[in-house]
Amino acid sequence: MTTRRFRLLSVLLLAALAIGPRAGLAAQGRVRVVATLPNLGSIASAVGGDRVEVTTIAVGTQDAHFVDPKPSYMVRLKNADLLLVNGLDLEIGWVPPLTQGARNPRILPDGPGYIDCSSGVRVMEIPSSLSRSEGDVHPYGNPHYLIDPLNAETVAGTIAEALKKADPGSAAIYEDGRKAFVKRLHEAVFGKELVDLAGGSKLAREAAAGTLDAFLDGTSLGGASLRTHLGGWLGGMQPLRGWPIITYHKDWSYFASRFGLRVVEYVEPKPGIQPSAKHLEELVVRLRQGDIRVIVTRPFVEHRSTDSLAAKTGVQAITLPIEVGGAAEATDYFKLFDYVTGQLLKAHGTAGPGPAGAAR
Amino acid sequence: MKSRAWLIVVSFSMAPGLCHPARGEEQVVQAASPGQEQANPATPPPNNEVEALRREIQELRDQVHLLQAQVTALSSTPPQGGEPARTSAAPPSAAPGRSQSLLNPAISAVFQAIGATSVSHDHDETNGFDLSEAEVAFQSVVDPYARVDLFLSFPSGESPDVEEGAVTTLGLPKSLQLKGGRFKSAFGKWNTLHNHAFFSVDRPDALTNFFGEESLTDDGLSLSWLVPNPWNLYIESATEVGTPRPGESFNVGRRSLLYLEHLSSSFTTSPSSTLEVGLSAARGRTGPSAHLSAALAECGGACSSLVPREELDSSVQGVDVTYKWKPLQLNVYKSFLWQTEVLLSRRDIDMLDTLAPALVPESVSSLGAYSYVEWQVRKRWKIGARYDLSGFPDDRTAREWGGSAVIRFQPSEFQEIRFQYKRTMRNAAAAARFGDEDEDNRIFLAWIPVIGAHGAHKY
Repeated sequence: MTTRRFRLLSVLLLAALAIGPRAGLAAQGRVRVVATLPNLGSIASAVGGDRVEVTTIAVGTQDAHFVDPKPSYMVRLKNADLLLVNGLDLEIGWVPPLTQGARNPRILPDGPGYIDCSSGVRVMEIPSSLSRSEGDVHPYGNPHYLIDPLNAETVAGTIAEALKKADPGSAAIYEDGRKAFVKRLHEAVFGKELVDLAGGSKLAREAAAGTLDAFLDGTSLGGASLRTHLGGWLGGMQPLRGWPIITYHKDWSYFASRFGLRVVEYVEPKPGIQPSAKHLEELVVRLRQGDIRVIVTRPFVEHRSTDSLAAKTGVQAITLPIEVGGAAEATDYFKLFDYVTGQLLKAHGTAGPGPAGAAR
Repeated sequence: MKSRAWLIVVSFSMAPGLCHPARGEEQVVQAASPGQEQANPATPPPNNEVEALRREIQELRDQVHLLQAQVTALSSTPPQGGEPARTSAAPPSAAPGRSQSLLNPAISAVFQAIGATSVSHDHDETNGFDLSEAEVAFQSVVDPYARVDLFLSFPSGESPDVEEGAVTTLGLPKSLQLKGGRFKSAFGKWNTLHNHAFFSVDRPDALTNFFGEESLTDDGLSLSWLVPNPWNLYIESATEVGTPRPGESFNVGRRSLLYLEHLSSSFTTSPSSTLEVGLSAARGRTGPSAHLSAALAECGGACSSLVPREELDSSVQGVDVTYKWKPLQLNVYKSFLWQTEVLLSRRDIDMLDTLAPALVPESVSSLGAYSYVEWQVRKRWKIGARYDLSGFPDDRTAREWGGSAVIRFQPSEFQEIRFQYKRTMRNAAAAARFGDEDEDNRIFLAWIPVIGAHGAHKY
């Protein structure tokens, strides 16, 4: 009786196996891209245009460290041609079970479709020693690199190359998509005027080498230094250079370094560690010195600590997204920075965001 | 030193294949673009033509200066690296770590310090503190085709054992995955968990009574398959065949194989919640139960001629339902879980008729179930409650039931302190198996730290 039931079940399973859809064919010839995080998804859409079908696993209001590896994500990954990951162990808690469960060898680590978008990125804060007594440290360095918009150029290059390999017939389209994205990015970061004068790639190189200031101040054009032509997000954020801020987690390092902000304290005593009453008291003392005027918190953490800090010291706490979709206004990678820089300028009391982001 | 860093960067860029954009190509693009962009000055011509020409000349001069500066900058870079900032910006100190981790398996260790005491009676040998089990895990890919997960356990007072050690294929077509070695059978949900990953300190009564103190574990093969379906649902089938490890329902060892089928499906009921449903069926053979052996020994000489049959049919079927709610935005702080499993055992046994004395063949059906709910009330605090109801697979009358309250405190992802209070009631037949205790109140405390590689979270 039971044996018969087993036989019936086996026959049914084999029948379903035989009629199952064939894997490995892109729907309508488009490349199926799954991005772990919305910033990666947004850049992939910009580069790939309508040649790609991009789905994103996490949403912008979620903590990228702690996404739940739901079985339904495995189904999405099963037929993916490319999986874009942030890398640097940011998704260590949830991507491995998904790739292992997806039964898709293409997107396994070291598979041709597993794209670690951190490669080529200049990584900050690589710990010299590793110990969990320091909290949830990332052994390969700070993984929140896409909050520096200039790193998106590297990532767009990585994604374009991956798309070219996955779909060689459309290589020229992806190269055009990458170029257009990078041009738009440079104009958004430096302003169109400066990009037209000095060239976006030149500016990006100077910025990456940390010599942008010397270049802008040391080069004169029509009697005035190049800096007078600086626009975009960098130009708009100039009043905030050297401004001290407190952030909840260590996820603003790249942004602060790019825009010249100084992160002087963290609400978390150590990465991933819940703030203790003692640490909050120390922050109150620090905030009462009066030089810090803003606490930057995250959409996906408790607001009790930051609210109590704000209430005790009068320093305002603002919630800023670090991913596309983390705020209603941040609908794509460009709008994310339009929104973030706008909010910071507002907190600083400088005139609103204006057209700082050349993004349209 | 520098050349070494280069080597590492090169080897790393070759390994993932796609990860790096073609550097040379990009350099050409970048080196050419400033010139191209400068060929189109954006200033509109002014009204006065002489003034306009003068300004144009001045601008051209400035641009020549700018280009000279760029030429100087470019010529000062190493010959291969047209992209100085980024080449030097590649993280040399990160690369060695990654290449090492390719060769060394991820190693982690976990142990459970458990204190348990019965508050109803004091003659229980499980009272007291115990380093109940230490476990060391090695996990790694073997080659492009397989991975290995090896869990060695060091139970207190017993010799070390392989708790699980299985090789799993990575590249089978048709969404298939083959696993071979020793593994916890995919029967329901709880059976696959390692002790430190339980929700409570103890195992639900139904699983203990049906499978024993350890999970139902096979030495064998498992073929699992993500079943394609028009609704894009997650449907997984796992078919297992193997030799069961010693346990309650299947205890004939190598003489007979255990067959198991598990079908599970997961439904996304909302962006924050999922419902998972599973069906399990296991079938094998079993010999005399520990209870019968004990009864025969007690009966003594009168029963010495009675030889119980060794290979009797035994099957266990199960249904599992799990509902999870985790708000997307604050999933670290709040969650809710409800998990229920119902198990049905059908088993041929020999019953001892002590009056005759004789062994009477019988077929026994018994039912076991648990239902567990858990709320995460704070980031680090979870409270739970479990109801247990269970028969015994070799006795149609014995039954026990009870409830547990659980408190879990997780200071970080890597440490947990778990407290459980459990009250168990038994009918007379069941009490006879436990020294005539028809009621037991028990307190458990477990402290579970994990060190080593960051394991993934299970969903």
